[in-house]
Amino acid sequence: MTVFRKSVGYVAGIAIAATTGLVSYRALQAEGPEPPAVISGVPRDFPDAADDLVKRGQYLTRAADCEACHTVVGGAPFSGGRPFKLPFGTIYATNLTPDRETGIGGWSDARFLRAVRDGIGTHGNLYPAMSYTSYTALSTADALAIKAYLSSLKPVHATVPTGTLSFPFNQRWGMKLWNLVFFHPHRYKPDPTRDAQWNRGAYLATALGHCGECHTPRNIGFAMRSREYLAGTVVEGWKAYNTTSNATYGIGEWSDEQLTGYLAQGHAHGRSSAAGPMAEVVEHSLQYLTPSDIQALVVYLRGIDPVRGVGSDRVELKPAAVVASTNLLPAGDAAGGNTRGRQLFEGDCAGCHQFNGVGRQSEYASLAGSHAVNDTTGTSMLQVILDGSSLTVNGRRQVMPGFGAAYSNEDVAAVANYVLAHFGSKLGKIDAAAVAKARQTH
Amino acid sequence: MITLNINGIDYSFDGDPEMPLLWYLRDEAGLTGTKFGCGMALCGACTVHVDGAPARSCMLPVGAVRGRITTIEAVAETHVGRAVQEAWVKAQVPQCGYCQSGQVMTASALLAKDAKPTEADIDAAMSGNICRCATYNRIREAINDAAEVLTR
Repeated sequence: MTVFRKSVGYVAGIAIAATTGLVSYRALQAEGPEPPAVISGVPRDFPDAADDLVKRGQYLTRAADCEACHTVVGGAPFSGGRPFKLPFGTIYATNLTPDRETGIGGWSDARFLRAVRDGIGTHGNLYPAMSYTSYTALSTADALAIKAYLSSLKPVHATVPTGTLSFPFNQRWGMKLWNLVFFHPHRYKPDPTRDAQWNRGAYLATALGHCGECHTPRNIGFAMRSREYLAGTVVEGWKAYNTTSNATYGIGEWSDEQLTGYLAQGHAHGRSSAAGPMAEVVEHSLQYLTPSDIQALVVYLRGIDPVRGVGSDRVELKPAAVVASTNLLPAGDAAGGNTRGRQLFEGDCAGCHQFNGVGRQSEYASLAGSHAVNDTTGTSMLQVILDGSSLTVNGRRQVMPGFGAAYSNEDVAAVANYVLAHFGSKLGKIDAAAVAKARQTH
Repeated sequence: MITLNINGIDYSFDGDPEMPLLWYLRDEAGLTGTKFGCGMALCGACTVHVDGAPARSCMLPVGAVRGRITTIEAVAETHVGRAVQEAWVKAQVPQCGYCQSGQVMTASALLAKDAKPTEADIDAAMSGNICRCATYNRIREAINDAAEVLTR
């Protein structure tokens, strides 16, 4: 009995010591002051109703792109359930509608702030698939404006499936340790060496837009590698490209017009269009930003240190075969021996994309200058060929159908290699095995 | 208000700019020679010319049209279009005929660009126009025939 009591005492002692340590460590970490109002909040050119909390909240919710992740295909917006396949299992986005049982109905402000900025939800610590690691920088006013908007939505009763993470990743308390190492709770701290526009862009790109969560490679602990900020990586089977100011591999040589077009409309003249997850970002978030906010993002992105990144290929802006071709006829024989790929492209692709890469009747179908058709791994291109892509901007839907059900793996590989040769002047080495692998990521 | 120039005539339209051009051609302008096939720009039946380039009118919103539209009704007004139509009649290309307006429009765009296409060129240019009756051999024959007339 005494022995038992003693061991209980030891365990309790250790637990108390550990908790005290954790709490005091946390207390020492300053989250910093609230970011000033010119940098956070809604922009100057935010249309009327700037004093309407719900309208402001809607703008900020869009800027933070909550909807894309918190909506499952076919489900009500913000009602959660979208699966996220991580290397160690699947987790599901939560219901953000104000339903009392399954959503955030009845949540206090403090509880909401804890979830959004500290990553602590109803069942304990959240996984960093929820980008609280970025949202931590949000101002209190902005986070609560988002809450006000979400609370104004129609409650949807939707129970989210339980995640299927494997041990030890299914132990939520483990995230406390992860947070100690990788999570730095902080409010956005303006860089005094930069002007207000740049700082606004930084706030938009980090605290709200959380660009780095997809575009920054992660380390072995699944945290963002800060030295390769925005240098590009692969997320859910798609390439999130290098968006540093690197001239060759990043966006350094994109014109302001191209950057603005890509961000605000999902299409950059001469650089093709957003597809897959980035199309979702444009559709749900970026197209709603005001011109001054898009401009701030452009200024911010131009100021990101150039990084080479890994696994990227130089984008050929004027591929010989494309220049030689007309809208109806291919030239420059990029096919080589790949007649199957050329035949498939002629029959199923050229009708919209055209051999000269301009895109028939929709510039969104232009392939010339696209990163995806210059990437010899074919990562994003395979996803588009298999599953298609859709982007609704200004009420107009641009859609590419998927060919995954109609094409064999060999055919997908053949047409992908043809596209790399014709539109990227590159020798593609995509084979059926790579296509089979790409099929598994969605 | 949108102004569309169709076969040389200006039309004014103040309806939904998202209306597909094909709807406008058939229901508003009464030009029913252009056919509805798949509605997704995949079959080529609805092909018209916009400034001489083939376009799929089923997926082209009227508000996005930039240029002069030519439909099958007026294709014979150019010497290339006329040669193509005559070759089509001579070879008796159509079977059911539903896709043929689109075939003629694409073939004339091809010959306007390249009056002496190779067999491979014909395959590449015509692949986007599907014919359920499989009249492909006669289509090829007619294009070659028209090319010969045009380069004579």
